[in-house]
Amino acid sequence: MVSNLENNTTSPHASNDSSGAVLSVKDLSIALPKNADREFAVKNVSFDVAPGEVLCLVGESGSGKSVISYSIMGLLANALKVQEGSSIKLQGEELVGATEDHMRDIRCTRIGMIFQEPMTALNPVMTCGEQIDEVLVEHTKLSASERKEKVLAMIEQVHLPDAARMYDSYPHQISGGQRQRIMIAMALILEPVLLVADEPTTALDVTTQAQILHLIKELQGDRKTGVLFITHDFGVVAELGDRVAVLKQGELLEIGLSSQVLMQPQHAYTKMLISSVPNHTPPERPAIASDAPIVLQTINLVKKYVNSNFLFGKKAVIAASDVTLEIRKGETLGIVGESGSGKSTVARCVTRLIDISDGRVLLSGDDIARVPQRNLRDLRRKVQLVFQDPYRSLNPRRSVGQSIVEGPMNYGKSKAEAWQKARELMELVRLDPDGLDRYPHQFSGGQRQRICIARALAMEPELLVADEAVSALDVSVQKQVLELLEEIKDRMQLAMLFITHDLRVAAQICDTVAVMSEGKVVEYASAEELFSNPQHSYTKSLFEAAPGRGFKFAREV
Amino acid sequence: MTQSSASLNSIEEESVEGLNVVERPSIWSRLIKHPSVLIGGILILFIVAMVPGASYLTPLDPTEINPRNRNKPPGYEAVYKTDEGERYTVVAKMGTDKLGRDVFSRVVYGARVSLMVGLSVAVISVSIGLFIGMFAGYFRLVDAIVMRFMDGLMAIPSILLAIALVSLSGASLFTVIIAIVIPEIPRVVRLVRSIVLSIREEPYVEAAISVGTPTAKILYRHVLPNTIAPLIVQGTFICGSAILLEAILSFLGVGVPPEIPTWGNIMAQGRDLFQIFPHNIFYPGIFLTVTVLAVNMLGDGLRDTIDPRMSREI
Repeated sequence: MVSNLENNTTSPHASNDSSGAVLSVKDLSIALPKNADREFAVKNVSFDVAPGEVLCLVGESGSGKSVISYSIMGLLANALKVQEGSSIKLQGEELVGATEDHMRDIRCTRIGMIFQEPMTALNPVMTCGEQIDEVLVEHTKLSASERKEKVLAMIEQVHLPDAARMYDSYPHQISGGQRQRIMIAMALILEPVLLVADEPTTALDVTTQAQILHLIKELQGDRKTGVLFITHDFGVVAELGDRVAVLKQGELLEIGLSSQVLMQPQHAYTKMLISSVPNHTPPERPAIASDAPIVLQTINLVKKYVNSNFLFGKKAVIAASDVTLEIRKGETLGIVGESGSGKSTVARCVTRLIDISDGRVLLSGDDIARVPQRNLRDLRRKVQLVFQDPYRSLNPRRSVGQSIVEGPMNYGKSKAEAWQKARELMELVRLDPDGLDRYPHQFSGGQRQRICIARALAMEPELLVADEAVSALDVSVQKQVLELLEEIKDRMQLAMLFITHDLRVAAQICDTVAVMSEGKVVEYASAEELFSNPQHSYTKSLFEAAPGRGFKFAREV
Repeated sequence: MTQSSASLNSIEEESVEGLNVVERPSIWSRLIKHPSVLIGGILILFIVAMVPGASYLTPLDPTEINPRNRNKPPGYEAVYKTDEGERYTVVAKMGTDKLGRDVFSRVVYGARVSLMVGLSVAVISVSIGLFIGMFAGYFRLVDAIVMRFMDGLMAIPSILLAIALVSLSGASLFTVIIAIVIPEIPRVVRLVRSIVLSIREEPYVEAAISVGTPTAKILYRHVLPNTIAPLIVQGTFICGSAILLEAILSFLGVGVPPEIPTWGNIMAQGRDLFQIFPHNIFYPGIFLTVTVLAVNMLGDGLRDTIDPRMSREI
């Protein structure tokens, strides 16, 4: 069936490029608007993608990798201008300067695209099947029944169960991984010669990510599709990439075979990036004294969300059940799990941002689970939080100093004292104390996270709760913040509850790790034990899914 | 740890240098450059200038009845007597009405009432709405009750409410303002509540809770500033619609007492002779339209410049 349809869909432009590359980018420069922080988003970047090859573009945020993908698809924002002398050739055909109509013909038929967030890339009011079908309506002359047959076949090829049901499902009715499969089906149904994938697995859980990566590899291998895969994750590169190109601030630093670049990076920046990727094996850590006082203990903690409705009765969602954990002074406990596993719920329960349904939470021996909100002032001081999103955890309208001194002044410190303390804390988190008068938007993500840590430390807490505190940061910055947290914890003898979805991060910073799945702790052991000898099948599947696990990255010696 | 802290410092310095974040041009320079802010603002300035400048613009008392000058067309040279008995003529730029009052003077003085109603309705409904909305949004228990009450208020048509209030307490400027304010409040409450609902989930509010900031301070420091920009915008739209509504109420005879010159009253009194002497309705109508248009243009421009988030929502 597929073969007779292919005649309709293969492009009329025969490949006449002598080099045989699907995509050939030469001296691509893209200017940024005048008042931006640098002149060019992308400067003199050249690379080729051969048929059946996966080229990974790697770089930290702001490196210009997405700008390159948009320029290839002809979707650049108007403010960004492709400079003279740049060339993007698809099978020998120049795309720079092509008309919008022509680009519309090329997209989907010859260049397929997958984006990061499958929920926003799909139209919520159309069924998945209709959306794939739309591609065929626009670009082929097939009859309705032929199209339906082809769409169903494609849904099966991306390994979605029950193709007919999937065809009639709306995007919100299926999971994130399934949505991304629908996106892939849509991108590949016309058998494009090039697939541009812009961080397609970043928003997904690690096990789903592994499946999607596997699917992309399988489909492009069968069809000899060239893939330009944009990512910030070296694990994904190790897993998928044939070749890798490293970008920094819009300049191409290094390009070569994945294995070579990952093992023997030439450029200092690449070396630094790769050495920042946290290692999967936990480092040797000093044992926590067994007589160290227990700071936090949860006993059979339960959090239920009851949705009551007078028409349909009560519905309860159990976010966390029977969670029993303990943290000693100077210890870091990690809670690891995928989204929806209940790890953040536990963090919010022990900080009493939400009330506990059942069980006990002991902070230095006092049960805080039943303390009414108005008597929580003392508890608030002892437990402090660092949040995931450094852009939202500081009030944009208040200066950094005002944010830091807010807490101590609530507890009666004088203004002068609090500001003096804030200056000391800025130095502790290695920021310039003069930055206290500035506003959050004047700092980078990593710097803001340091400020959040300083704000938490200003309260002189006993327990620091870090909820995905490094997840939104680039690897090199992530490494610095992790080191800072470790150093502060040692110096102040804090107990730390560290919540993360990233096993590699957990391996680096945690003494003890609790693995959560569907609201339950499925495995609870020392980091060393857990990483060397996982017991529970879920933990094992998490480990297997972690991208680039078996790969030996080049490490600075 | 030690060998990496060296690299840590070097990277940190680099990013501190790259800290010259592009500052957006200041809010005022962006406002002035926005065409609808500029045009709307200038028009409003002219109308507002009519309030203190009324006695310079016209020597005549807008309520003075002069039977000899009844129903004269624009451009008529009306003759008046001073208290001492001296005669003088004034050109009736917009003609006179059926009682011989000078329409131009009435229109000029009418701006006072219109602006007064617009401004006070906007200020009162925004302040009350802000207060209720903050409570409803932040305290979930209050929310359900307050919002049902607000739904009830929203269902009251302001014209019927005005008729009811006038029959209870007599026509006055105060009744008109109350009648327009009451149905406006729920709209402000809804807006404020929706902003508060999203802000209270922001991590920086949770951070403030966990450093022990009292709820009142959280509302004042962290939540309130986020509502200001959308409320300024909403306030201008309320102002525009209040001016229009006051004119409608006066036109229907349930608004400001007929002896007070307002644009609605002038039109109401010119209604029966409209076909013969259209100037009685035409001139106040133009002023009303221009004022409401200017206020709305200002509101649109403010929305685009100070609150880009809302430009797609309303």
